[in-house]
Amino acid sequence: MSSRVDRIGLLAVPGLAFLALVYALPLLMLLAKSIQTPDGLSFAEYSAFFADDYNMRVLMRTLRVAGLTTLLALLIAYPTAFAMNRAKGPWLTVFLVAMVLPMSLGVVVKAFAWSILFRANGFLNTMLQWIGLTEKPVRMLFTETALVVGAANVFLPFMVLPIYAVIRQMDSRLPEAAASLGAGPFFRFFNVTLPLSLPGVVAGSAFTFSMAISMYVIPSLIVGERQQTMSMLIARSFLYLRNEPLGATISAVLLAIAVFVVIFSSWLARRLGARQ
Amino acid sequence: MSGRHYLEVWDVAKSFKGTNVMLGMDFRVDRGELVSLLGPSGCGKSTLLRIIAGLLNADDGSVVLDGRDITHLPAHKRNVSVVFQNYALFPHLTVAENVAFGLRARGIAKSATSDPVKEVLSLVRMSDYADRPITALSGGQQQRVAVARALVVDPDLLLLDEPFSALDRKLRETMQVELKALLRDRGITAIFVTHDQEEAMGVSDRIAVMNAGKIEQFAAPSTLYAQPETPFVMDFVGLSVRITGRVTATQSGMATIDTAYGPVQARTEVGVGGTVLMCVRPELVSIDGGENTISVVLEDVMVLGSKTMLHGRASGEDRILCELPGIRTGLSRGETATLGWALEDTLVYEVTP
Repeated sequence: MSSRVDRIGLLAVPGLAFLALVYALPLLMLLAKSIQTPDGLSFAEYSAFFADDYNMRVLMRTLRVAGLTTLLALLIAYPTAFAMNRAKGPWLTVFLVAMVLPMSLGVVVKAFAWSILFRANGFLNTMLQWIGLTEKPVRMLFTETALVVGAANVFLPFMVLPIYAVIRQMDSRLPEAAASLGAGPFFRFFNVTLPLSLPGVVAGSAFTFSMAISMYVIPSLIVGERQQTMSMLIARSFLYLRNEPLGATISAVLLAIAVFVVIFSSWLARRLGARQ
Repeated sequence: MSGRHYLEVWDVAKSFKGTNVMLGMDFRVDRGELVSLLGPSGCGKSTLLRIIAGLLNADDGSVVLDGRDITHLPAHKRNVSVVFQNYALFPHLTVAENVAFGLRARGIAKSATSDPVKEVLSLVRMSDYADRPITALSGGQQQRVAVARALVVDPDLLLLDEPFSALDRKLRETMQVELKALLRDRGITAIFVTHDQEEAMGVSDRIAVMNAGKIEQFAAPSTLYAQPETPFVMDFVGLSVRITGRVTATQSGMATIDTAYGPVQARTEVGVGGTVLMCVRPELVSIDGGENTISVVLEDVMVLGSKTMLHGRASGEDRILCELPGIRTGLSRGETATLGWALEDTLVYEVTP
């Protein structure tokens, strides 16, 4: 019995070795750079980073954009996941293709497509002016709103699929049992459906949030250099400023946030799941 | 007419994707009655239950409960509780929270639910488990919680969908006795849906045997067993000897029927040339002769402890059984035995050949 378990354990070795070599090792070397100074080990880079107003603004913007992106994606994904659960046969296929196909389309292609939609003489502005809602074109590209909308679009599948997976496993008799016990649609939703779908919401939100705080290509293409995010600061430090300790420090901060999100969400999921 | 019975189902029809699963269903239950809908899967018994519960809309007809037409009321406004086959307990809530659900849904404050919840939990002997999560319970315990959850709201009608099917045989029998006593004590009107005839006979005052979306017979268990009105009921409720034959002669209500085992006599209205199905309950067949006797080769002798079952070699769709009380030795496979039964125990149905 135990030897069998050991042998199955062997199957994990290639994966672990790969991770150690291409992920853990370079990451540790990078983190080490953030506390290495000519005068020995020091956290000076960190205090300098947090003392800088500009950096703090970028950090706050990154968190805000990631938070809003997660919220928007959740608001769209939640009803979508329920619709998918109801969908049968060809409709389900349509939904799944609609979810998965855009993922295969590069972000760059999508971003340029949006610029056609959002730009001053783009489709959306032409429509707004035609209806008469605005006189002059509204600035949409290069705004935080456009970034949030764009990011939510890219990350939507990562929000929908975990929620869909949880809902699909939900016993369809539970809402019926609730109804037969006198619970109306609202009571049913808030006391049965919503709590049971929360593990999916937590997983989807954690995915989306951790991808949104570290996104680089999407903000570079949609808002450009004007409004920096953490990832853009990291890239600038390494590529233009050639300041490796600064880049390593910002990376460490971003990593700490991501690790916190993962730990917090798995704790939350376990707490929600423990009762089920 | 209306108001004579506690629950009245009038002329209910239901079809799925153009296929009628139920047409002109009429069904009445009196206050305090324990009734079973018994039938094979696909006979429409669950459809009828769901229509009464309000979980499914009937295409046509009406449902009247205690004088009130509830046909178009949604499930949550009916005060009809359902115990589901898999119990459908809320996995994110504790035992006590599950039981309190119906009260909370009715807008009763959390603090006011604790007394009634305690009361029903003690009724189903689950008081010690109030704070346990649902997943920590065995099948029998889950069933008790499901019953408590359904009863705490003081329902006008309790519907139970195959409530015992997930339990093993011994536990099932215990739970049947327990639940029946509980429902009787509380004066609850309940409808069980089941495909298990023993269960239906054990728990109900009356049984509606359903087949292909219709009620074949609705009667007390003893009547169903002794005087089944159709071959289907005869076959579905209990075991029976089945012999098909042709009427070759009749004389003042007594027919001579030609069968694969020789001629036999039976009382029937069917005329000469008619094809009939003759049935006898196996325990009414003996090896000590009778008004009708046939000789058959024994294919199997099953000693079952409290009874011994003889299986005779039968032709075609026929079935020949003889149930003898206790353990019988001295009979063995391959022997020829003479089986006999009384005229008054013979049931005859005309069939289309």
